[in-house]
Amino acid sequence: MDIFITGYGVISAIGNNVEENLNNLIQEKTAIKQGLRNFSSKFKVGEIPYTNEELRSEFNLKTEGSRTALLGMVAAKEAFLNHELFDHVKTGLISGTSVGGMDTTEEEYKKYLKGDRVNYKNYFNHPSGTTSAQIASELGISGFVNTISTACSSAANAIMMGARLIRSGYLDRVIVGGTDSLTQFTIFGFRSLMIFDDEWCKPFDNSRKGLNLGEGAGYIVLESQKSIQTTGKIALAKLTGWSNASDAFHQTASSPDGDGAVLSMNQALQVAGLKPNDINYVNAHGTATPNNDLSESKALIKIFNGKVPPFSSTKSYTGHTLAASGGIESVYAVLSIQNKILFPNLNHTAPIEETGLIPIKRIEKNMEVNHVLSNSFGFGGNNSTLIFSKK
Amino acid sequence: MYYIHKVASITHQNSFLQNDINALLVEITEGSVLFAPDYKKYVLPSSLRRLSPILRMAVAVAKECQEAINTPFEAISIGTALGCLTDTEKFLNVVNTVEGDILSPTSFIQSTHNTISGLISLELKNHSYNMTHTQNNISFEMALIDSILCCDEGKSFVLLGAADEGIEFLNKLKPIVISKDAFVTSGATFFALSKIKSNAEIGIVACQAKLNKVSIDSEINSFLGNLQIDSAAIDIVYSNCLTEHFPSEKMIHYEKFSGLYFTSNAFGVHMAHDWLIEQSKKYALVVNSSCEGGIGLILLRNDKAQD
Repeated sequence: MDIFITGYGVISAIGNNVEENLNNLIQEKTAIKQGLRNFSSKFKVGEIPYTNEELRSEFNLKTEGSRTALLGMVAAKEAFLNHELFDHVKTGLISGTSVGGMDTTEEEYKKYLKGDRVNYKNYFNHPSGTTSAQIASELGISGFVNTISTACSSAANAIMMGARLIRSGYLDRVIVGGTDSLTQFTIFGFRSLMIFDDEWCKPFDNSRKGLNLGEGAGYIVLESQKSIQTTGKIALAKLTGWSNASDAFHQTASSPDGDGAVLSMNQALQVAGLKPNDINYVNAHGTATPNNDLSESKALIKIFNGKVPPFSSTKSYTGHTLAASGGIESVYAVLSIQNKILFPNLNHTAPIEETGLIPIKRIEKNMEVNHVLSNSFGFGGNNSTLIFSKK
Repeated sequence: MYYIHKVASITHQNSFLQNDINALLVEITEGSVLFAPDYKKYVLPSSLRRLSPILRMAVAVAKECQEAINTPFEAISIGTALGCLTDTEKFLNVVNTVEGDILSPTSFIQSTHNTISGLISLELKNHSYNMTHTQNNISFEMALIDSILCCDEGKSFVLLGAADEGIEFLNKLKPIVISKDAFVTSGATFFALSKIKSNAEIGIVACQAKLNKVSIDSEINSFLGNLQIDSAAIDIVYSNCLTEHFPSEKMIHYEKFSGLYFTSNAFGVHMAHDWLIEQSKKYALVVNSSCEGGIGLILLRNDKAQD
């Protein structure tokens, strides 16, 4: 059964919408720079240069919510633009997030610790499920709304869940992706893990030190053939493969040989009915941490039997947007297929010694892009792979 | 039918590894504590020290479910409404009080919702599909719907779980954010679920969950209507809300026994499971609804019972 992609939307540090993201990807312009907020100013981050108030007015948002919810509304609205609701097209929303409303919670909790007056009402925003409910409300969607929280693979898993619900007939159409805002909680968290790079992150480089965090949201609209007959939408691409597997190695680190990653890529290829050499581009997880990039490289070498297709990590543009990354990178995968381009991996100078793999270093145009494989790996050894194909 | 091959709960009731928990139920009162097993049986003492209550509970019930089936689970699907609150609050304190650059990452690592399912995959050395759903009061239903999909896709045994933990701070959110004036607490209920029947008697027929409801009654009507089951055929209803759809003598308010946490309906399913076996009755319905959240309906059937 075909799963069609009939809409996409994204907001990230490199742009407010799909077009701006595409232009900056093509122009090889990163947006990672010194942070703007108190808690981010010491670090290089992929921050969206709007306050919450500005987000509400700039994007005409009607629903209240945390920053995570607001970013989600912006991208989900773009994805669902020009789509209508029909009584007999069962439409749902599945959104991935790891921080949910933590941005409002941490402000309130700070006041509480200081003994200042606390507005307990703001904790209403805290649950991740509320983030999705708020996005759904902005879109006018009721009924099936779900949230996936598997750290950095959340959006990819939300997309996979959506595809499976369409395939089983449970839903006809579903908006899927993820959102996460920068918070003091996550910045301090990743700092405590000591996997930050104080300079621009260098995915797959031998001298890579760690990641830059980012924020944003990315969503795609999935539809069945039956749904398209009613909605009249034209497919941008298809979602053909998906899988999730568990590394079961360590709470945060990936196994040395990327066992979970191998499993998930292998199973996604099986779902898609593709052979490894059918893949024209890999949008890697590529966080630029020493551990992830080595383990993912080894998994790629294993899956592709040494002949790794052109690959890159676009986190060198946006920063690691955590739960949103799989959503944002799914939009990029569709853009790659539509525009026949392969996105470069910025800041790369020397290949990782153990693997010798060299990512795409400059934008490549007029390429035959039939199938794109996209990886998202999260804490807890949660490995997910999606495969996007030409319609 | 999605058969329940094992159910294990850690709650305020003497529910852990009992055959019929209903005989032992006591209404929860202020000061009541969780019936915790000896966790050293389930986790190495060196690791146990770092684990918050939700992680301890979840690992213990997950291992009991694994013990009951002699094959590895082919999928793990967990629902949690608020995730690992103890570690989340701990790290919020660290962020706001610790000076300097050296922070301990443990509570941050263990603060994400999928720490539960991730830890279970580590403890069971399980490499299969591993998912964490969090949709406020219908988180367990979302995990169950995913489990049903997994079974339909051909996975033989699925570990389905619900876990939430109460922290003292939640009481400050009453009545503004948490409208119910109930005893806020923790609980974990896990199931070994399969389309394979073998020795199982009770199964889940279907589950429906919606974010917005028209009314509880109309949701029950459409749910049972789609299944072509008459309301009168339902032998028992475990519910956390009021509905006049069923005679009061058929209704049991499960929150009186579980306390308030947002996946406690999984314990309602556990109670319904044991009741159907004990009473040799056919149908039980678990109704879960809150004013702020969605509505979830789960129907169980006893294959052994006569119509």
